[in-house]
Amino acid sequence: MDNSFFTYLEQLELMAFFSGYPLLYAVIIAIGKNKQEKRSFKNRLVSLLPLSYAMVGTLFLGLQLKKLYPDYTIENINHSMQQPWLITWGLLSLLFWIPALGKKPVLSLIHSLVFFFFLLRDLFLQSFQSSHDKNVVRNDMKIYSDSLLLNGGVFILIVLFSYLFSRQKNR
Amino acid sequence: MKLLSNKMLLILLVVFSGYGYIIGCTHDNQIPPPAVTTGTKYTPGTGVFLPGNMTAGNTSEWKLDKVHSGVLWSGAYIGAAGLLTGRFNQFGMHNVVDAEMINYNTTGQPLKDTSWAFYEGDDSKTYFNGYVQINTSNTGEPGRDAGCNITTLGTTAIVTGVQNLTLTNIAKIQTTKVTFDPTTGDYIVNLNLCWHGTTATAITKALVGRLKYVKRATIAGAAPYDVFGLQLTFQLVKTDFSITSTSIGDKVDIECNMNFNNK
Repeated sequence: MDNSFFTYLEQLELMAFFSGYPLLYAVIIAIGKNKQEKRSFKNRLVSLLPLSYAMVGTLFLGLQLKKLYPDYTIENINHSMQQPWLITWGLLSLLFWIPALGKKPVLSLIHSLVFFFFLLRDLFLQSFQSSHDKNVVRNDMKIYSDSLLLNGGVFILIVLFSYLFSRQKNR
Repeated sequence: MKLLSNKMLLILLVVFSGYGYIIGCTHDNQIPPPAVTTGTKYTPGTGVFLPGNMTAGNTSEWKLDKVHSGVLWSGAYIGAAGLLTGRFNQFGMHNVVDAEMINYNTTGQPLKDTSWAFYEGDDSKTYFNGYVQINTSNTGEPGRDAGCNITTLGTTAIVTGVQNLTLTNIAKIQTTKVTFDPTTGDYIVNLNLCWHGTTATAITKALVGRLKYVKRATIAGAAPYDVFGLQLTFQLVKTDFSITSTSIGDKVDIECNMNFNNK
């Protein structure tokens, strides 16, 4: 079997999970940062970004476990993964559950930019290749849209849970 | 973000994303195919083809020549590139009722291919039933066919010597109406496709296909016999059956090439 087929699929999967995060991050940072009031709702939104990113990473881990089911042996993992380093990098997003890392949202941005790079690469190749094929970019943008929806949806959920949790705590 | 201010980052990301969407959404003009203006009117023949009991040697009973027939599928690779194609190794022309949807310990056809009738000149009497075994999808890549395809299509792996016609492994078609098309000489086929896919229960979708009749011909030899062919093409939407796959697009073309003989 042509390994490039699965390599490409894995790359699309990673893009679907993580490539939309940088734009979400930039939007939330742009509207959210409030230097005057440290405990404002807007600042709270910014602080929830790494948790949202970690949640997306958890969903990605779930997908990998589902794909490997029911054989979780090292042999099967090696056989199934075409880009183990990239997948490991994706799974590192789980570290943002750790409070110490969660306090530095910019690290989550840097982490996700690796996956946004694939989109940029395809855009660049599409723009500067003489016999360019729009279909790859078209496909990338569909995946990117899905990623934006996923990251946006997860962020809204995290904000909602955080609000409910803090309300419960205050009672 | 000292080097890159937040606003600058936002602007850059929006510009790159917007540029991507503009490229991705721009379509080249396509030249439409010329309209058919031949004005030719086709009239159907008078041939009648029935399977009967598929008795060997009975020349009035037509048998599905399974080994020389095929059910092919194709879809745009990753929904954007050229075609990814495959075929189903196991299929038949039997109306598989619920009680027959079981495993059969045989390597041959599990059920008689007798649920069809083709009247060249009387389309109201023409009908077909057919099925494929989903786990026998063959793309020529064993790792894919016995690997990710199995989970993607919501079925189970092939068991040697077993024909699996159980609910999760069978897709069935049943015609509801066949109409002769005098402008092409083909038949327009309304059919129901019933497939479990990855849903909890089987889903039935009404589709429209085109049936081409390949005329009856005599094969000369020591014991001459006749053959004819039927080619049915239709398209399904894979998400109708909750199939999630990034390897092919949403639309999947199906082509059933059925050859019959009266040996």
